[in-house]
Amino acid sequence: MRHYENLVIVKPTLTAEEIQASIKAIEEIITSNGGEIAATDAMGMRKLAYPLNKNERGYFHVIYYSVAPSAINEIERRFRINEDLLRFVTIKYDTNREVTAWNQLVQKAHKKASAPAGEAKVEEVIIPAGIDEDEDAE
Amino acid sequence: MAERRKYKKRYCKYCEAKVDFMDYKDVGALRFSLSERYKIMPRRLTGNCKRHQDMISTVIKRARAAALVPYTVTRKTVVTAPFENLR
Repeated sequence: MRHYENLVIVKPTLTAEEIQASIKAIEEIITSNGGEIAATDAMGMRKLAYPLNKNERGYFHVIYYSVAPSAINEIERRFRINEDLLRFVTIKYDTNREVTAWNQLVQKAHKKASAPAGEAKVEEVIIPAGIDEDEDAE
Repeated sequence: MAERRKYKKRYCKYCEAKVDFMDYKDVGALRFSLSERYKIMPRRLTGNCKRHQDMISTVIKRARAAALVPYTVTRKTVVTAPFENLR
């Protein structure tokens, strides 16, 4: 068993129920291939950085799971067939350092799920300090 | 001149913060190593160390594939308020 993460972008043209249904179908694909879902994180509807199939927005959903490496091929094949998905990104967490990061991400997702009030406080961008703008201009 | 001034102090900010792992979904943190046109900033300007530059470049490429960060910003596909939707 190896740790993975999948980010899927669902079509924005679907209704809310249809989106939930298609996400359920996606999770079903993973579990039916022997995967164990550790956590899910709904990032919600957001603007895409560039249009995908002429869509400007998309519904982002992240799934953390562990599965045998041989099953990934099949999971990705099923994702490609699915027409509700605009895009998916599979990330492998292999080394020790990545696995601990994966555990932290799972805990973070759990915390976010248990406290769903996070919608209000969005604009807290963490940027590394520095980048002073032209302080030598007089 | 101003640009050279911007990156005068050359030390790795990620080493200073002891970053061990970067998450491609945390787009606000990627901003430091992206230029105004969303290109990956070279090491000679940001002062990143080799290890962290390798990490940031893979992470940025992942974020690009996930449509969190644009590949390119040209005159045609200009973003009116860049980094506005980077949360």
